[in-house]
Amino acid sequence: MATGFLTDIATAENGGIATITIQLPGKVNKINAEFGVGLSAAWDEVMGGAARGVLIVSGHKDFCVGADLDTIFGVTDPAAILDLVRMLDGLFRRIETSGIPVACVLAGSALGGGFELAMACHHRVVVDSPRVSLGLPEVNLGVIPGAGGTQRLPRLIGVQAALDLMLQGKLVRGNKAVVAGLAHEAAPTPEAAVALARAWLAATKPKSDAAKQPWDRSDYAWPGLSPNSADGRNVFMAASAMVYKKTAGAFPAADAILAVVQEGARLNFDGGTLVEARAFARLATSGQAKDMMRTFWYQRTAAEKQEGLPVAPADPGIRKVAVLGAGMMGAGLAAICAQAGYTVVLRDVAQSALNAGMAHVVKGIGERLKHKSAEERATVIGRVTASSEISDLDGTDLVIEAVFENADLKHRVIREVEARLGARAIFASNTSALPITGLAEASVRPEQFIGLHFFSPVEQMPLLEIIRGRATTEETVARCLAFCRAIGKLPIVVNDGYGFYTTRVFSAYILEGAQCVAEGYDPVLVEWAARVAGMVVPPLQVFDEVTLRLGDHALSQAEAFRPGIAGLAGAKLVKAMVEAGRIGRAQGGGFYEYKDGRREGIWPGVAAFCAPRVAGDAVAQVRALSERLLLAQVAETLRAWDERIVTRPQDADVGAVFGIGFAPNTGGPLAYVDRHGAAAVRARLVELASTLGARFAPSPGWASTIVPFYG
Amino acid sequence: MTDAWIFDAVRTPRGRGKATGALYATRPVDLLSQVLAALKARTGVETVDDVVIGCVTQTGEQGGCLARFSALQAGLGMESPGVMVNRFCASGLEAVNHAAVMVASGHYDVVIAGGVESMSRVEMGSDGGAIWDARTQTLVGSVPQGVSADLLATMHGVTRGDVDAFAIESHRRACAAEAGGASSRSRVPVVDEAGLTVLDRDETPRADTTIEALSKLKPSFEMMGRQFGLDTLVRRAYPQIERIDHVHHAGNSSGIVDGAAAVLVASREVGERLGLKPRARIRAMAVVGDEPFVMLTGPLPATRKVLKRAGMAASDIDHYEVNEAFAVVPIVYQRTFDIDPARINPLGGAIALGHPLGATGAMLVSTALDNLERTGGTTALLTLCVGGGMGIATILERV
Repeated sequence: MATGFLTDIATAENGGIATITIQLPGKVNKINAEFGVGLSAAWDEVMGGAARGVLIVSGHKDFCVGADLDTIFGVTDPAAILDLVRMLDGLFRRIETSGIPVACVLAGSALGGGFELAMACHHRVVVDSPRVSLGLPEVNLGVIPGAGGTQRLPRLIGVQAALDLMLQGKLVRGNKAVVAGLAHEAAPTPEAAVALARAWLAATKPKSDAAKQPWDRSDYAWPGLSPNSADGRNVFMAASAMVYKKTAGAFPAADAILAVVQEGARLNFDGGTLVEARAFARLATSGQAKDMMRTFWYQRTAAEKQEGLPVAPADPGIRKVAVLGAGMMGAGLAAICAQAGYTVVLRDVAQSALNAGMAHVVKGIGERLKHKSAEERATVIGRVTASSEISDLDGTDLVIEAVFENADLKHRVIREVEARLGARAIFASNTSALPITGLAEASVRPEQFIGLHFFSPVEQMPLLEIIRGRATTEETVARCLAFCRAIGKLPIVVNDGYGFYTTRVFSAYILEGAQCVAEGYDPVLVEWAARVAGMVVPPLQVFDEVTLRLGDHALSQAEAFRPGIAGLAGAKLVKAMVEAGRIGRAQGGGFYEYKDGRREGIWPGVAAFCAPRVAGDAVAQVRALSERLLLAQVAETLRAWDERIVTRPQDADVGAVFGIGFAPNTGGPLAYVDRHGAAAVRARLVELASTLGARFAPSPGWASTIVPFYG
Repeated sequence: MTDAWIFDAVRTPRGRGKATGALYATRPVDLLSQVLAALKARTGVETVDDVVIGCVTQTGEQGGCLARFSALQAGLGMESPGVMVNRFCASGLEAVNHAAVMVASGHYDVVIAGGVESMSRVEMGSDGGAIWDARTQTLVGSVPQGVSADLLATMHGVTRGDVDAFAIESHRRACAAEAGGASSRSRVPVVDEAGLTVLDRDETPRADTTIEALSKLKPSFEMMGRQFGLDTLVRRAYPQIERIDHVHHAGNSSGIVDGAAAVLVASREVGERLGLKPRARIRAMAVVGDEPFVMLTGPLPATRKVLKRAGMAASDIDHYEVNEAFAVVPIVYQRTFDIDPARINPLGGAIALGHPLGATGAMLVSTALDNLERTGGTTALLTLCVGGGMGIATILERV
């Protein structure tokens, strides 16, 4: 018997129903070559035992979490990948075409290859729980489903529904799986699910139609539109356009999903999986997939587990949290803290702000907990007290200030509030740029003063940038890491400095965008270039959202820390726009014009504040601008690296990608450096510094060593 | 090398390309065989070295080398073979150019060129092709022609008013031409199997079209372009286009129609030996590829190329036929070469008369020759924009 696969041969006692229990060494079932060999052997064994039905279950909590990335991440030979997936294709096909009915029980999640195995079974019984996830999330790692997923899912639930799931890597919860067509039956418990699966097997005759996949039956018709019809063809054209609109061509895996679903639909099943396997082999060996796997799998998992960070205490002694400032950030913070079980005081001096903040809390919790009872929602909302009374802060364990970005104001608030706090209390600033050490000057306990930089909208943005001030103790950091875990955020821990890490890189990005425009590049091209580079939000859109006034304010503030920054043409452009009344989206328009709240297009007046339009081929300009917008951020990241603001490459990449929407397709700014080659990046930065300015100059410490960040 | 000469050209009237159109109940093979038979009857030529036929949607009843069966049905000698060509909308003129090259090479003596398309019976696009593949979209990229047309208009500042006014003029000219009998020499009626006339005049020109009526029509490609995101696809080639101004609709784009045409091509010596009088000489030909996203600009480089080959200037051409795939195409063409608008499509174009895809190019030969003969002009330049960003042009010189 193969390791990790327990087989129970068919006997008279078990009614001729054999069972394969997948229980790989370790805590989870993952698919790799050994998995294939083991499952194949187990399958042969139960088939040798004259089974009239086969049940496949997991011996672990989850059914199977997908491919073992360790066996793909390091592989650069497409032939090796092709061999692996063709082996799985053959095995899964053998299972579904044996004529023997096969059922599986999905008591836990079945993802990627795990769900592909489940789809190769004739009958899926899922446990009716939101904790069970099913789906094909491969696109988020720069690859496509690779063991028949792109062929089975559309044949199972229709092309449109399948594309919708696969193109976004969307997962379906166990309690929605039957409605979505991903499972046949649902049961409340794993035992009940096994019973349902056994009942189905007992009732299903070998060789009957029910023991065949729908697509192997003679009367098979595509659910919904046939991909080969004229309407089906239009679906692919529209989908191609939608994908391009969303990705600007920066994510080839999404394109490939469309292509293999469409082409596979014209072929027999084995032809379809061959087409899929070729695309998978191409993408799985691509640099983009490697970089995305590193950041979105390995590094994200490590950040979730807080690997390599100060060990968070089991009880950090945080029960009551106070949030100062009831704006969108403060109210959002109050809501997520309440959801995590904390007692929360939301403080503001203005009653109107408190009212708006509380309304935000109630609305947000109502939406996010809509599946819970009204009573439970009320309990969560009840944890938040909106107050302007300073006495309500008594007994607070953690204060997070989210007041206006002004050092004097913050100092005043720190002094006022700290006076009410106990000796163990932590004071955190949610400043996005002001150095923590400077703010801590107002604190009587600078060792318990820290930066907790959240991102907006805080309910959705996964990152928490934790900033150590000069005096901040490791214990304070560790307690905040426990808080971070409790509210479900992804931490990076960085050292102090103006803009610490993320704001610094983000400012370099949007300022470079403004700079390009000021130099006379068509704003339309600048924005598009950012999208082509993979940036989540183009720079001028950012200005309009956060307001140019705030941008101008931040640039003036930054001048004290980075002399010369306010003198850049881009900074002057922002100032001139503000002076001309172009403040931002909410104020009627900034770089863009808006109509009924909808972004219409670049405001034609922008050109009046800029150098004469740069002439030349637009496609070539986009290529150059894309590189420039990324390299401006790379150069800033390398300086932060040299200054030891970030001390681990993964903090730089996770912080940039999850915090500020740095091009996910690159894996992050340091992954970008490795991918392009440090020497080449250095040479390019030297060139750009000579033509565009010193902000592109490669940071000297890094430039003198240029070893790869990832070995 | 010898010159290729046109000895006669015939076409069917164009019928509305719908189930309500006059030619709906006529098979494509019947349309084509009728023009071949007419050519045979008019010239007495029974056997030719080849029958080269353009057709775009070569599937279903337009599949399977329609040329051969049409030739046999038309009563051409069984020694007359047939071949099909597809250069999208240029197929009909491509067939003529093919025939001209075959004759000019000296390897063939007499060739019939032509085209056929029954759009009411064989749906445009139903032949499939790589153009529909998501993979091709990734590797090459393209947008539907209507989006290209609106992109071209956006890039050249051609307004909704411009294209609508052009459409009105197309109808006015087509109606005037009909009234003046301008097409009487080349147009042959379509008959049914009992010999009864099915259609003897072009079905779609309307004298009552007004700018007010056209201005009410909704742009055809706006929803597809904006809502489904197809407009964004053009940014691969034109990143500066933040927004496409959608101006085209059914009223200012070529009509969907049915029809067929045929042209007899031979060397002068062979034609005269057969007792025929040439109508025109094919002076120069050109085909080009241009940027595929905007797709419809091919006539510009094709025209430059053909004029250069002929050693001529734009001002040397008496009569232009610039296929009105979309109104923007002849408008941009006219502006680019600064041609007197009266010399472009003087008898109306595809907006009024319709564009039976694979037949149109061959039909333009007869339209141009009829007009040159009527007006005493000498030279005509025929050009069409072509899917995939191609363009074709041919210069005819009346005898």
